[in-house]
Amino acid sequence: MDKFDVIIVGAGLAGLSAAYVLAKEGIEVVIIERGDYPGAKNVTGGRLYVNPVRQYLPDIWDDAPLERHVTNEMVTMMSPDNSVSMRFRSDKFDQKPYHSYTVLRATFDRWLAAQAEKAGAMLVTKNRVDDVIKEQGKVIGVVTAGEELGADVVVACDGVLSFVAEKAGMIVPGQPRNFAVGLKEVIELPRTTLEDRFGLTGDEGVAQMFMGSLTQGRFGGGFLYTNKASVSLGMVVGIRDLIERKPGVEVHLLLDEFKERPEIVPLIKGGEPVEYSAHVIPEGGLAGLTPLFGDGILVAGDAAGFSLNMGITVRGMEFAIASGVMAARAIIEARAKNDFSASTLSCYQQFLENSFVMKDFRTFQHTPHVLDNSRFYGYYPQFAGKLLEDLYTVDSGPKAKISDTIRKNLSLGESLRMGKDLLGGLKI
Amino acid sequence: MSERRSMKAKLGGNVFKPDRERHINIKPGFEKDARLKAALFVCPAGLYSLNEEDEVVLDIDGCLECGTCRIACGTEVLDWNYPNGEAGVQFRFG
Amino acid sequence: MNIYVCVKQTVDLQQVRIRKETREPVLDGVPLTIGNIDKNALEEGVRLRDKLGGKVIGVSAGSEELNDTIKEALAMGADEAIMIIAPELEGAESSTVAMALAKAIEKTGEIGIILLGEGSSDNYSGQVGPRIAEILDLPQITYVSSLEAEGNTVKAVRNLEDCFETVEAEMPVVVSVVSEINEPRIPAVTQILKAGRKPKQIYSPAELGVEIAGSQIKTISNLAPEQDRKRLLFQEGVGQDVKSLVAALESEGLLGR
Repeated sequence: MDKFDVIIVGAGLAGLSAAYVLAKEGIEVVIIERGDYPGAKNVTGGRLYVNPVRQYLPDIWDDAPLERHVTNEMVTMMSPDNSVSMRFRSDKFDQKPYHSYTVLRATFDRWLAAQAEKAGAMLVTKNRVDDVIKEQGKVIGVVTAGEELGADVVVACDGVLSFVAEKAGMIVPGQPRNFAVGLKEVIELPRTTLEDRFGLTGDEGVAQMFMGSLTQGRFGGGFLYTNKASVSLGMVVGIRDLIERKPGVEVHLLLDEFKERPEIVPLIKGGEPVEYSAHVIPEGGLAGLTPLFGDGILVAGDAAGFSLNMGITVRGMEFAIASGVMAARAIIEARAKNDFSASTLSCYQQFLENSFVMKDFRTFQHTPHVLDNSRFYGYYPQFAGKLLEDLYTVDSGPKAKISDTIRKNLSLGESLRMGKDLLGGLKI
Repeated sequence: MSERRSMKAKLGGNVFKPDRERHINIKPGFEKDARLKAALFVCPAGLYSLNEEDEVVLDIDGCLECGTCRIACGTEVLDWNYPNGEAGVQFRFG
Repeated sequence: MNIYVCVKQTVDLQQVRIRKETREPVLDGVPLTIGNIDKNALEEGVRLRDKLGGKVIGVSAGSEELNDTIKEALAMGADEAIMIIAPELEGAESSTVAMALAKAIEKTGEIGIILLGEGSSDNYSGQVGPRIAEILDLPQITYVSSLEAEGNTVKAVRNLEDCFETVEAEMPVVVSVVSEINEPRIPAVTQILKAGRKPKQIYSPAELGVEIAGSQIKTISNLAPEQDRKRLLFQEGVGQDVKSLVAALESEGLLGR
C-alpha cells in the first residue's frame, strides 16, 4: 500500500483550502476528486463573502476568478399576486477590497485547485473513493478504484452526504429535518443587457433573496445572483416540508412557477438557460454538526455540516474554506508531535471554536428553530403585500386613514402572534 | 410569457457522462414502500415516477447527484452511491 | 527500442456546448484532455513495450497547459515524455505540428515505432502521421486495427472499411491506429501520482530548428449544423395519419432506401 502524509477526499473549497495550506508547508498531500475536474460536482447559490476568509488564504484573492462584487442587496417578499421588495445599494460595497462576490464553482474550484497544485499538492480527478481503511479503530487510508492508499490523516471533504465520515463510523445518514435542497438554473445574458436590466455599472452585482408564496408555505426561499454574463436563479426548500406538507408538490415545479412570476420574467427574458443543477444543503445549524475528528481523520466543509442559515442568507463556502484551513493547521500540529490520534487532532475543534466558524454557529444556533415557522413563508409576506396594496389603492369611495388600513389588515390575535414571532426573531 | 421548458430540455443543457452501472437503485421489495413516495416530490430532476402497478420507479438518466432522495427516503429503501469516476453530471457552471 | 506515441491536447468534446444564438461552439474554459484515439495509440504502445521491452515516450506539442495532458499519458503507462512548448503551437496547423514532433523524435534517440491515432478528436485532419513519416523518411501504415511486432518487423491489419489489408514493414515505422484496436486502460490512482515524477524533456521550437510560419489555413466558419424540426402534426385519426406520415417520409426521401 502506497502511503502519503495526508489524503483529502473531495476537491471542493474545504479540501482544496486544506491542500493548499498543507502543500505550502511542504507536506505530501493527495486530493482525490470524483469529478472530471474540481468543481464538476459542486454547486453554490452563490455568493462568497471574502472578508471572513481573506486571512486564511492570504495572497491569492487578487487573481481569483470571481464574478461580480455585490453592491446591491435585495429582499423580496412574495404573495400569490403581489410582492414587496427592498433594494439596498451601498457605495461602501463598491470600494476595494470588496466584501462579497457572486461566484460559479466550476470556474472557481478549478482555479483554487491550480493554486494548490502549484503549491505542491497532488490532485487526482475522475476517481471515486469507495471506502476507508481502518486498523484497530484508527483510519489509516482509503480505497479508490480497488486500490488502497495509506495516509497519516484522511480529511473528509466529500460534501454533504460524506460517505467517508459514514464509512469511518462517525455519522449515520442524515434526517430530512436537517437538510434542504437547492435548485438552480444558470441563464446567460449578454453583459450589457444584464447590466442595463439590473441597473449595474461595470462589475457591480446584485444579490436578491425571495421569501413567501414561492415555496407554498414550506421552509425556504428563492435567490437570484448576477454573474458576469449570466444570472443564477434558484430556490432552496426544506426536505422535511417537501415530504410532509400537503398537498404535495414536485419541487422542480415550484422553481418553474417562481420563474414564471411577473417579477422574474422580465429579468431573464431572452436569456439562454445553460445549466440546471441541484444539491442538498445542511440546515441543521449547531445541532446538525457532525463529529469533527477521530483517530486519523478530520471532517471539514459541508461534510461536517458547516452551512448556516442566518435568516437572510445561507452561508457555507466561507465555513468550508476556514474549516479546511483549520484542519490543515491541526494536521501540522499533529505532525510536530508525530501523533495522529483523536486527542491530538482535537485541536481542530479548538481552532474552530476560536474562529468565526464556531462563533457564528453559536450565535445563530436558534435560527433553524425560529425559521421553522410556516408564517414566515406564508402569512407575513401576504400581510405585507395586502397592507401595501390597500395603502396604495385609491378606490371610488373615500380613502381610509392609514392607521385604519393597518388595523383592518392586522387583527389583535395576529398582532399578538406577530409579537411572539418577533421575540423569537430577536434570538437570531 | 415563454413556454415552460420540459425537464428533458432542462437536463439536456447539462453534461452527463455515462456510467457502467446505475448508481442509485430501489432496494428489491421496497418499490411500494411509503418512504419511497417522498422521492416523487423531492427529486429536482423528476426522475422518480409511479408505474401501472403503483410501484415507484427510478430513471437514472439525468441524475444531478444532489442527494435529496437519499435524505428524504433513507438508505433502507434506496441503495445509493455516487457514480463511478469519469461518469455522471459534470457541471460547467456550478 | 523506443516506442514514440504522439498525443494531442484537445478540448473535452463532451463538454463543448453550442451557443444557440450564433451556433458557435463555446470553447472558453472547456477542460483539456488527450484525444480519444490517441489513447488507443498509447495503449498499443504500452502493450508492445510490455511484450518487446524498451520505453514508451509520449510526444506532444502545444502551449504551457500541455503539462496536464502529458501527465495523463504518463499515468496511462508512458515511461517518459517529450513536450514542445510554445504559445504559437496552441492550435497550430498540422504541417507545423508534424515538423515539431518529427524533429523532437529525431533528436532523442533510436526510433522503433512511432504511433498515432488516425486523426485528432477535434480537427480530424489525419495529416500528422503521414507528414511525420515523410519528414523522417520512414515507412507508414495507416488505419491499423491490429498490430504485432516480431524481431524487427511489424505486421499490421489495416481497416479500410470495405476490406482488411494485412501488411508488413521493417522498423522504424510510423503506425496510425483506429479506435477498435484496443480498449484504453483507466489509469490507477498510484499511476496518476507516479506520473508527476516521470522524466519530462521540454523543447522550444527554436531548439529543434522548427520555424513556426504564419498560418496557411484560414478558418472561414465553425458552426454547428442547423437543426430544425418539420413540425408536421397529423391528427386525422390513426388510419389517415399513418398514410400521411408515410407520404411525408417518402417525400423527404427517407423511406424505401
